[in-house]
Amino acid sequence: MSEVLAHRSRALTPAETEELLRDRLGDGVLRSVVEYGMFTLWIDPSAWVEAATRCRDERLLGYDMFDSLFGVDAREAGFDVVAVLYSTSTGNRIVLRVRCEGGRDAPTLPSLSEVYRGANWMERETFDMFGVDFTGHPGLEPRILTVENFEGFPLRKDFHLAARVAKPWPGVAEPVELDEEGNVIEREVGLGDAPGPYELDKAMAAQAQQVNAPPAPAVQPEAGADDDDADPSAEVTASATATGATAGSDAPAAQAPVDEDRAARAKAKADERRRKQAEARAAKAKARAERAAGGEAPDAAPPSDTAADTTAADEPTTSAPAEAAPGASPDAGPDAGATEEASDDAAGTDASSAATSTPEDDRAARAKAKAEERRRKQAELRAARAKARADREDGEDDA
Amino acid sequence: MSDLDLAQQVLPATAPGEGIAVELVGNGDMQTADMSLSIGEAHPATHGVFRIVLEMDGERVVDAHPVIGYMHRGFEKLAEHRDYRQIKALVNRHDWLSGFSNELGVALVVEKLMEFEVPDRAQWIRMLLAEWNRILNHLMFIGSYGLELGAITPMFYAFREREDIQALLESATGGRLHFTYNQVGGLKIDLPKGFLHESARVSKVTRERLPDYFDLVLGNEIFQARSKGVGPLPMDVGLSIGVTGPTLQATGLPEDSRATEPYLKYGELDVEVPVGSNGDAYDRFSCLLHRIRVSLDLIDQIHDHIPPGPVNSKLPKMVKAPEGATYVRTENPLGQLSYWLESDGGRNPWRLKMRTPSFSNVQAIPYLMRGQLLPDAVSILGSVFFVVGDIDR
Repeated sequence: MSEVLAHRSRALTPAETEELLRDRLGDGVLRSVVEYGMFTLWIDPSAWVEAATRCRDERLLGYDMFDSLFGVDAREAGFDVVAVLYSTSTGNRIVLRVRCEGGRDAPTLPSLSEVYRGANWMERETFDMFGVDFTGHPGLEPRILTVENFEGFPLRKDFHLAARVAKPWPGVAEPVELDEEGNVIEREVGLGDAPGPYELDKAMAAQAQQVNAPPAPAVQPEAGADDDDADPSAEVTASATATGATAGSDAPAAQAPVDEDRAARAKAKADERRRKQAEARAAKAKARAERAAGGEAPDAAPPSDTAADTTAADEPTTSAPAEAAPGASPDAGPDAGATEEASDDAAGTDASSAATSTPEDDRAARAKAKAEERRRKQAELRAARAKARADREDGEDDA
Repeated sequence: MSDLDLAQQVLPATAPGEGIAVELVGNGDMQTADMSLSIGEAHPATHGVFRIVLEMDGERVVDAHPVIGYMHRGFEKLAEHRDYRQIKALVNRHDWLSGFSNELGVALVVEKLMEFEVPDRAQWIRMLLAEWNRILNHLMFIGSYGLELGAITPMFYAFREREDIQALLESATGGRLHFTYNQVGGLKIDLPKGFLHESARVSKVTRERLPDYFDLVLGNEIFQARSKGVGPLPMDVGLSIGVTGPTLQATGLPEDSRATEPYLKYGELDVEVPVGSNGDAYDRFSCLLHRIRVSLDLIDQIHDHIPPGPVNSKLPKMVKAPEGATYVRTENPLGQLSYWLESDGGRNPWRLKMRTPSFSNVQAIPYLMRGQLLPDAVSILGSVFFVVGDIDR
């Protein structure tokens, strides 16, 4: 039985190791990096084998265990090869790193298989994955992991993952990348940016548009103004279909849902105004009746449908589109930010309208408050639904 | 003429063994044609799709060429297309007998690159489950090695224990094979109520049954005859190849990252490293068996250490590692598992290298088999404990 870490007290620090190897290899040592507890020494390709041999044989270093060897794509510069060595006597680990000669076209590097036995298969794997030709290796062929007639080198960044090309990532729902001020960061597509899970938001949306775009529902804005019962559930379902359609479909198909949403809002607004007017009129009539005679007090509420007719006729629709626009923007999608914006916006318009309108009556004001309450609730409901959808997509993503 | 008479005419009556020239085989003087024998890729002794081509001279193996890659699934490429949090679902599949330990490695390497502090409780629980996972793995190999040498009882025994441990891990993680219990920043959820109590019970039961294995397998004459002196591996050769785990410890070197490069909280525990003497199949198996005992010791120590507190920490919505590269070594059941994680500052790894123990250990097989007899080839194959998915990734 032998010992491990017998020379731990004599272990060289990274600086001393670098000094020693610089002394032995001269310009063969390019630079050193110590990050995240790893000591990396960049080696010139001409000194690659010599560096490994020194690491193994120098008594002070004693890197006796061959840990690992693998390639890393270095973008336009070609390919790096990394060898990790470990010393069982000192407990030190060193990372030797080299940039292969020959760029991306014909990367070559001298083989370490004569220095460490374990380099044999590791180099075969690196050849298989990156196409690095190790000179002096006993036999890089046949390919060690892929099939013999495999074309290309799969771990190069310009080798695209076939599964991602054929079929987008299932499930998206990853938020876009934002900087401190909340602007969307657009990344430049560089070498190796194969379509990953995040790029596929757009692809998925485009696909979904083509496949799932529902036929534009024919909703007449005027149709809503005629029926006078202001059923909140009907409004909710109308807006639900509207938002559901907007999130799933793209710009051209979203035109119809926008109209529909606008119609629903216009209808709500008309209903509200109608009720307000009816109430005001009733209050006025009541006051008049009370003033006229104390005895026979007629419950003089004028028929609401006549009021509705008159209001519907001269109902202005100017404010409706402005209010409908943010909530129904076609590219809002399941983004939390957009829904927040929408609800904020809704609240803002409510406040402004409350400020401009002069309350003629207590009851009228209360009615208006109620209507606003309902509108807010609607906005919240929509936001909640959008969030639920986002969550669900999140869940699918995890699954 | 009867059959017996015919036989006596053809074969003269002699005492057993008399008159038969005994030749020493394997000196290259057997007048056999060059024979190459292909074992696998679907042979029971290779437990998976692994093929080995033996060049034979009579009964003697002249050279061996392992053929790997039948299960290559491109995990390193796939990992480059996934979020840091999603990789764990990939890595617990390369060595499917040690899913928890694999996830642990990835969680550690991402945390190291992000310089993330993990709550103490999470670290202790990670160690506890990693040790249980190690025992699960070792029991499987104890069963399968016996099977390869013609004994089926160890397999039955091993599965009895495995079932208890599986149930234990399932109660915490919900999984039996692919746990996905580790997360970047901690664990998925806390342990269920009563887990430590149950864990202590299973530990006690397993410890009580452990002598059965020592008697039944290590003490078995047939087992000893089939494994002692078979496929010895010198220490320097093993280090040069990069073998780790029981295969390296059998050569006499107490190299185990839990003891020499402690990660998590292993530095606070006494980790005994069992070693062999000459690195043969018997020593490898013996180390494996002793490692179960060491893991049980560790589990008992860990039970006393687990502090209260949170088991995970809040992650940013977008997990991004800063630019740079790092390397984390953990002691997987089969040996050293390391991940090299290189990031370009984006949301996916730029490069995730999986340095798996099986890949390096299997590389020693040609060395071990040269000059051995064919029946011993199976014994060697079983004693270099490997999982095919771990070789091919």
